[in-house]
Amino acid sequence: MRSSSGTSRLLRELRSLRVLVLHPDDHDGQELIGQLGRIGCQVKAFWPPPDKLADEADLIFFALRPEILGMDLPWLRKDGLPPMIPVVNYENPVIVEAVLQLNAYGVIASPVKSSGLLTAIAVAVNQAEKARTREKYVHRLEQRLSAQRKIAKAKAILMLTRNMSEDEAYNLIRNRAMTKRMTTEEIADAVIKANEILGLDVKG
Amino acid sequence: MWRSAPAVKRRATAAVRFMGGVAAGTPIPLEKNETMKTRPQDPIRIGVLFSETGVTSVIENSERMGTLLAVQEINEAGGINGRELQIVSYDPESRPTRFAALAEKLILEDRVHVILGCYMSSTRKAVVPVVERWNALLMYPTLYEGFEYSRNVIYTGAAPNQNSVQLAEFMMRQFGSRVFMVGSDYIYPYESNRIMSDLILERGGDKVAEHYVPLDASWEHYITLAKKIKQFSPDFIFSTVVGDGTALLHRAYAQLKLDPARMPIASLTTCEAEVQQMGAGIAEGHITSAPYFQSVATEANRRCLDNFRKRFGVEVVTNQCWEAAYFQTHLLAGAMRAVDSDSVADLLRVLPGSEFDAPQGKVRIDEHNHHTYLQPRIGRINAKGQFDILEEATQRVRPDPYLVSHTLTDWSARVRAVAR
Repeated sequence: MRSSSGTSRLLRELRSLRVLVLHPDDHDGQELIGQLGRIGCQVKAFWPPPDKLADEADLIFFALRPEILGMDLPWLRKDGLPPMIPVVNYENPVIVEAVLQLNAYGVIASPVKSSGLLTAIAVAVNQAEKARTREKYVHRLEQRLSAQRKIAKAKAILMLTRNMSEDEAYNLIRNRAMTKRMTTEEIADAVIKANEILGLDVKG
Repeated sequence: MWRSAPAVKRRATAAVRFMGGVAAGTPIPLEKNETMKTRPQDPIRIGVLFSETGVTSVIENSERMGTLLAVQEINEAGGINGRELQIVSYDPESRPTRFAALAEKLILEDRVHVILGCYMSSTRKAVVPVVERWNALLMYPTLYEGFEYSRNVIYTGAAPNQNSVQLAEFMMRQFGSRVFMVGSDYIYPYESNRIMSDLILERGGDKVAEHYVPLDASWEHYITLAKKIKQFSPDFIFSTVVGDGTALLHRAYAQLKLDPARMPIASLTTCEAEVQQMGAGIAEGHITSAPYFQSVATEANRRCLDNFRKRFGVEVVTNQCWEAAYFQTHLLAGAMRAVDSDSVADLLRVLPGSEFDAPQGKVRIDEHNHHTYLQPRIGRINAKGQFDILEEATQRVRPDPYLVSHTLTDWSARVRAVAR
């Protein structure tokens, strides 16, 4: 299981990681800041959690105290939030539910200990990166799927209105795309629109 | 089949039995219980855990000797504000489980608050949860691979930024960048080799091979290894072999007539104790990076060696682990005198940040990470089994145990030729 190549980028870049600590200045908070300092991350700490996230961060530690459950924190609902590691001191269903609402990629329990933190950070950042890559991939797939649907519909229109075979219809779309320097999806779109204007009812 | 969480039916541990009615998992903080303050005439007891038997007993015996010397010196100078410092020592046999059990025995039965001990990381990792659980203090006098901090541990050996970086820089400058790595099969070699690999790759160097041998590997293992080294013909060998294997590696290397002047073994652990064990003949010419060698020319070292000889004989041999064991005991005594207590809470107020004029030079415990500022040095073994110090850092180096990505371009910690 040992890696034979060099140390991974994620671990090498731990010291440039910007970590936002939303935690009271108590024993746990001190322990957290102290260990983040030893690891060498860039740290900023606030409490109570601010209304706006002014600072760009790569990771957020968030003390999920019962008293913040009633707070309205609009930034929590935004997309593209950095990964979060809640710090919990209660483990009842109310708090666990609140953890599930967050963009949590791990959790640490109070009392905070120095050991385990480095691994928690590495796992959270790594999983968040993987999730981002996966989201991008899914987005690309969705786009490709929608293009395929349009092309299929345009082909069907051409086959019916011009009495073409499927191959002929596809070649027509492709040739037009090349001469007009457009994508096949855009040509297919034009075919569908033209057809709608002509009022013919063709099911794709 | 899924098993539901077991009802509380744990086997009673020694700890629980000892504590009688106290429920498992609720340790009594010792400083509320019984510290040196509660019995002001008695000696102050400290625990010592260095293996007297097993694979790493040679070096651990020497750590024990360093501790004993310091305790004698402390008591001759009036002890801890007039009270004798007394050692309670057991033989953990180089076995992690025995280390953990004896640490618990020291804390719960012998009522010590501080334990001096451990060599291999596996044994330290076994003791750390015990001292954390009972809020005791471990002082650990051994170089190790970093990435640890516990409120209940003080680390007085070198972290990688105080020995590996200097060794990599020196070896590549003097011998070249094709390295053959060999280590004992446990965590310290894995992590040390990772750091060394990064440093070498950063410089465009080449790791020609990486081999691990069991801690109790046989002579045949080492002969096979030496043959591989001969076949690959690297610029140098980086060895993280520890314990009795060190002598076997050197003997196999000598048997195949490999030449230390051209292709030396570089190490962070091979010190005077191992050299004495294997004989200077087969050790000569190889290189070690450490903050202390017996040959260090400081006044404190001369004084300390004189004292050591007076008590333990003329033929004594010291080394980096012995020295760390020695100075950490003095640091502890200084802290105990300052707070007039041996409770961990009191000691931790003054130990971090405290300084001592050690044989290697002035050392200091870092307030934030509990590791120690040390003086990196590069030594080459001579015909007498001592180290000729080739280079040393111009100033002591701050410990940075969580440094993932070491770099050779940072010159602040670099070693320089020693003026002669």
